[in-house]
Amino acid sequence: MSLRTTSVRRPLAVAVRAAPRVRSRRRGWLGLAYAAPAIIAYGYVVIVPLLQSVNFSFYSWNGVTAARWVGISNYVSFFTDPALVESLWHVLVLIAFFSILPIVFGLISAALLGRGRVRGQGVYRWLLFLPQVLTSVVVAVIWKRIYGPDGPLNAALNAVGLGGLAHNWLGDFDWALPSLGLIGTWTALGFCMVLFVAGVTAIPDELYEQARMDGAGPVAEFFAVTLPGLRGQLAIAMTLTVTGALRAFDLVWITTQGGPGTSTTTPALLLYRKAFLNPDVGMAAAIGIVLAIFCLAIALVVNRLSEERDS
Amino acid sequence: MISRTERTLNHAVLAVASILVVFPVIWFIFAALSPESSGRIDLTQLTWGNFATAWQAGSFGPAMFASAVITVGAVAGQTVLAILSGYAFGILGVIGQKVIFPIILLGLMISSEVFIIPLYYQFHAIGLTDTWLGLIIIQIGMGVPFGAFWMRATFRAVPPSLVEAAKIDGAHSWRILWQILFPIVRPATFTLVLLSFMWTWNDFFLALVFISDPSKQPATLALGVFQGQHTLNVNLMAAGSLIVALPVLLLYVFFQRHFIQGVISGAIKE
Repeated sequence: MSLRTTSVRRPLAVAVRAAPRVRSRRRGWLGLAYAAPAIIAYGYVVIVPLLQSVNFSFYSWNGVTAARWVGISNYVSFFTDPALVESLWHVLVLIAFFSILPIVFGLISAALLGRGRVRGQGVYRWLLFLPQVLTSVVVAVIWKRIYGPDGPLNAALNAVGLGGLAHNWLGDFDWALPSLGLIGTWTALGFCMVLFVAGVTAIPDELYEQARMDGAGPVAEFFAVTLPGLRGQLAIAMTLTVTGALRAFDLVWITTQGGPGTSTTTPALLLYRKAFLNPDVGMAAAIGIVLAIFCLAIALVVNRLSEERDS
Repeated sequence: MISRTERTLNHAVLAVASILVVFPVIWFIFAALSPESSGRIDLTQLTWGNFATAWQAGSFGPAMFASAVITVGAVAGQTVLAILSGYAFGILGVIGQKVIFPIILLGLMISSEVFIIPLYYQFHAIGLTDTWLGLIIIQIGMGVPFGAFWMRATFRAVPPSLVEAAKIDGAHSWRILWQILFPIVRPATFTLVLLSFMWTWNDFFLALVFISDPSKQPATLALGVFQGQHTLNVNLMAAGSLIVALPVLLLYVFFQRHFIQGVISGAIKE
């Protein structure tokens, strides 16, 4: 959260100190009245159920008969339940595809592009950003078709004489997960590029001149100036893409539903199944809590790292 | 000044990346216009009728209407709450904001999976599952963190002297908000409207959980069902997908700057 709020937080402190005590107290109640609808809606939809989730996660409950207190055994399952452990490994693979690949490609292209303004930049930006506005269902449908046994990917492989490499990509135990991952790469690539290219343009010219005077070549310049200058953008890209991999559901649900076998299950998919299909509600709640803790931890750690090097 | 080779290289990098990104979408558009259900591209006979056929077969009419109702309701609610809470946290100050605001921001980092299960049972008990109103309420509550965060930052950027001057003139907080501040923050509010439109329209997971009655499902859910039933009619599947994606795509065509700036500067959400 403070990824972006750090810049606005400082003026706040000044403003609060400058305001007279008594008046600010009265205005504080007025402010509370204005904020009340939002606080109530948020509390009702998010916070109260969130706390209930914590409570649920200590029970074993099939959604119908009485719930039974089981302590932390739902959390222990993260180490003992093979299906759950497997889904966590899948997340690691997805992180490579959803996060690392697009970030690396984004950085390479930002480095290659340098700081020159390109004519038609707006058009490129529009195109690169397009996957971000498509609903996940449409993305999934497009790629399900591309990966199909008689889809364009195999057709292309056949056409160039590589027919031996053709697969039923999403139906293959070994290929389904990386194929899914590449969909995430495709979605995030343009986003990372747009983000990083915008970041590079914001780096002050003096830093580059300085580096050049110090005799830095393009590679040294990239590591000494560009990469540190993109810290904030990197933090955003990391947080978004890693949590995206952790939460992967829509894509998986529409393309493979976790199959073939269990080769593409994700924690969010298991959560959905355990919560609504064959209820083990306590376990589902525990998965939700663990996912949330991971997301929070990632956001905080990435944010902390990017700020530390800042100072 | 950059040299000609550098400029060519720049174009090459951008062009290659753009083609990689856009190719699947273009291919899908062509497939939607082709007569053959195998998905083979044949642009010699543009088959616009695919859209009508898909519209009928997937009953996208009611589904698009459902999406429209849900989206309009959610966006209206989110926007009003965002303006009020942004004004409260950004200008007025709120009792206990040092505790309340961080808790609200927490919502930017947690996703719906964490709270959806108890919420489902709660809504089930009071008859809000399988209703559009239920989805609207969830979207409004979930939209609070981003809305408050976004509008607070926007209100803080307004010169304080404006508010001070209005206060000296004896204007009430309500009048200050709508007559003085709102015209200034309108562009940022518009960005917020576009983003929440996109996020609500594109939602799949919440609808999947809360709507099981096929006659009430929004467009994304209908498309999920449709693509499962028509795996052999690629052109119809593609046409259906484009129908569902169209409203957001249209907004993106006209207001791309709002979308890109909004997503990037508010990138914390999702």
